[in-house]
Amino acid sequence: MSQPDFSVDVFQNEYIPEGGRDVNAVVTVTSPDTVAAAAAADLGAAEIIIIDCSGSMGGTDGSRTKMAEARSATAAAVDVIRDGVAFAVIAGTHKALPVFPGDGSLAVADPRTREAAKRAVANLRAGGGTAIGQWLRLAHQLFASYPAAGLRHAILLTDGKNEHETAAQLDAAIRLCDGAFSCDCRGVGVDWEVGELRRVSTALLGTVDIVPDPAGLADDFTAMMQTAMGKQVADVALRVWTPRQATVRFVKQVAPTVEDLTGRRVQSGPQAGDYPTGAWGASESRDYHVCVEVPPAAVGQEMLAGRVSLVISSPSGPQVLGQGLVRAIWTDDEALSTRINSQVAHYTGQAELAQVIQEGLEARKEGDEETATAKLGRAVALAQRSGNADTANLLAKVVDVVDAATGTVRLKKKVEDADEMALDTRSTKTVRTKK
Amino acid sequence: MAGPAPAAARDCPSCGAPVGPQDSFCESCGTELAPASVSSGEPGGATQCPACPSAQITADGYCESCGRKVPSGRDHQELDLGLLAGVTDRGLRHHRNEDAMALATADTEAGPVAVAVVCDGVSTSERPDEASLAAAQAAVRVLLTAVRTGEDLVEASSAAVSSAQDAVASLGARSRNAPSATFVSAVMTSDAVTLCWLGDSRAYWLADGPGPAAQLLTRDDSLAEEMVAAGLLAADEAMSSPNAHVVTRWIGADLGGSAPHVLTFEPPGPGVLLVCSDGLWNYLPEAAKLAERALPGALTDPLAAAGALVTFAIEAGGSDNITAVLAPFPPTRPAPAGPAATASS
Repeated sequence: MSQPDFSVDVFQNEYIPEGGRDVNAVVTVTSPDTVAAAAAADLGAAEIIIIDCSGSMGGTDGSRTKMAEARSATAAAVDVIRDGVAFAVIAGTHKALPVFPGDGSLAVADPRTREAAKRAVANLRAGGGTAIGQWLRLAHQLFASYPAAGLRHAILLTDGKNEHETAAQLDAAIRLCDGAFSCDCRGVGVDWEVGELRRVSTALLGTVDIVPDPAGLADDFTAMMQTAMGKQVADVALRVWTPRQATVRFVKQVAPTVEDLTGRRVQSGPQAGDYPTGAWGASESRDYHVCVEVPPAAVGQEMLAGRVSLVISSPSGPQVLGQGLVRAIWTDDEALSTRINSQVAHYTGQAELAQVIQEGLEARKEGDEETATAKLGRAVALAQRSGNADTANLLAKVVDVVDAATGTVRLKKKVEDADEMALDTRSTKTVRTKK
Repeated sequence: MAGPAPAAARDCPSCGAPVGPQDSFCESCGTELAPASVSSGEPGGATQCPACPSAQITADGYCESCGRKVPSGRDHQELDLGLLAGVTDRGLRHHRNEDAMALATADTEAGPVAVAVVCDGVSTSERPDEASLAAAQAAVRVLLTAVRTGEDLVEASSAAVSSAQDAVASLGARSRNAPSATFVSAVMTSDAVTLCWLGDSRAYWLADGPGPAAQLLTRDDSLAEEMVAAGLLAADEAMSSPNAHVVTRWIGADLGGSAPHVLTFEPPGPGVLLVCSDGLWNYLPEAAKLAERALPGALTDPLAAAGALVTFAIEAGGSDNITAVLAPFPPTRPAPAGPAATASS
């Protein structure tokens, strides 16, 4: 099977002033437009659905219990699993138990096994505590029993806080699973901790979101499973080469969401480091903001400040699937060096937007109204300026906007938990601009 | 003035068959004889990084160790065709040489002919280095063919500009700043020089000895020049204004159809034609001073004189790319070597 060709486009102003050291570039990586269906089965894919079956799931949030909605959602997701994909369902409480297959292996999906899985799921009942680390460990064990799967993905649902283990225990489980599989996390209702789930999703290269109304679980699960089925290539890394004496200041994914990958670097050569980007499907596009500090050279000198490529490991060794060059040209022409690249400016703003929302919500929780108002006001201004309407709408549920352009806001006295949590989980979603 | 010396008999450099003195192509193997020379930088630039001699160089010309771009073949080039010679240099402050020159010679019934084209890529346009090279290459082809076939040189010069326009336009444009370059061409026969230009690259007549002095032959298409012509500013004020170097006409897709200036100059006596980009004349705009610097050396060794002018500009600051082409008038082939032919003029 030939490897697909990724396109790597670099957007930057390559001209820097005399003595300048910082080189910023936005790198857009797009996977090729090939047929989605066949590849996942070829590569071997495995899916695990982890459902919180703690006692609180028996509570009602609407006309049916959360447990009932979770059962329906799991069944809906199972139906999306393609023939040939290995899968399992886990029930999570203060322990983790395999629901299907019952013997702690993975089943290969076909009409018979999917029906059997749905029957097993129909018997799930709520009762017990919450220890998410245990759930992750069982998933890890199940994935490990099926090494043929190159694409490994889990959906994790919880409704409450991780009360039955320590933060250290959760962190240890996360570290174990880092790189073993990706995990999309969902919290149903408002009694769970955004920060806890975010620790899991960030480390395991997945998404985190709130599903405030349990009736919305089925659609959400279906969408997540469809996206997972669309993945074709696993364990793709962004490799960044820099010249000797240069330092990578940061590598951040900036679209579709902001994720700081800087600390995830794995050295892959004397002058190169790999940053994990997980699995990719067809025609997926993600943007990265790369900032490199280089020793300044004389005016008139051109330097390659960075080389960005996509790398995947294959049985025959790492394969480089695309390449983009980040350049630096020292100039004394201010007309050239003061030009601001619109992509870099835009994403710098989007990253700041995500950060000030987090800082504002944190300050609000701590009762520091002054800081919260300032930070969330800044967020409103940034959201408006960048045309990030979704984030602007989420902000409007937490603050009263007096003047969006200047970021003048007042904290709302009463904010629905669901709205605050939605802003928190979705604060990292960015918008793109035309190039 | 003495009549033109007869061109020497010669052999095809490719297949060795004898060729006629005024042949443009070998009748045996079809190779073009005496093709034009262009400052394209081929066969290529440095293969070693000056700072990291043992490091690999990437296909794009960057050092795998320190990342610096290694010097390009176009950073400094010298072309010596005997009848004329030129030197082009990146200068000290630009990261690449966006000037290009193309030189050619031909032997016609009426005597030897020298052809020179100098183009300066507009820095704020896209891929100016590609624009100047494409324009010079296309134009010199048209001019050389016209010289060989005895066409009217004024018409040929306009045709050369059109050909250069097409070549630059076909580079394509990815933004509003389509690739653009200035243009100046000179065709020198034993009687006259036909000049054609768009932009602020210049041609000067550098005279030797008493008689009519050195003079600037072209008039810049620049904002500074237009302000002076309109009586808005005195010449020295205009040259030091921030708009001095804004070029008002050029070769490039976004100003297609600009009719170039063409003029025929009949030199009053022996001297040297200088064709140059603004990287040189910005440091020494006055014709008399350029003549003082280049003569009498340029009359017999145009390559050394062109090199000296370029060095002067670099030492004066080198803030732009520099190109200087010198063609002594009248164009004279050296007498063929033989027992009867001893030195000098």
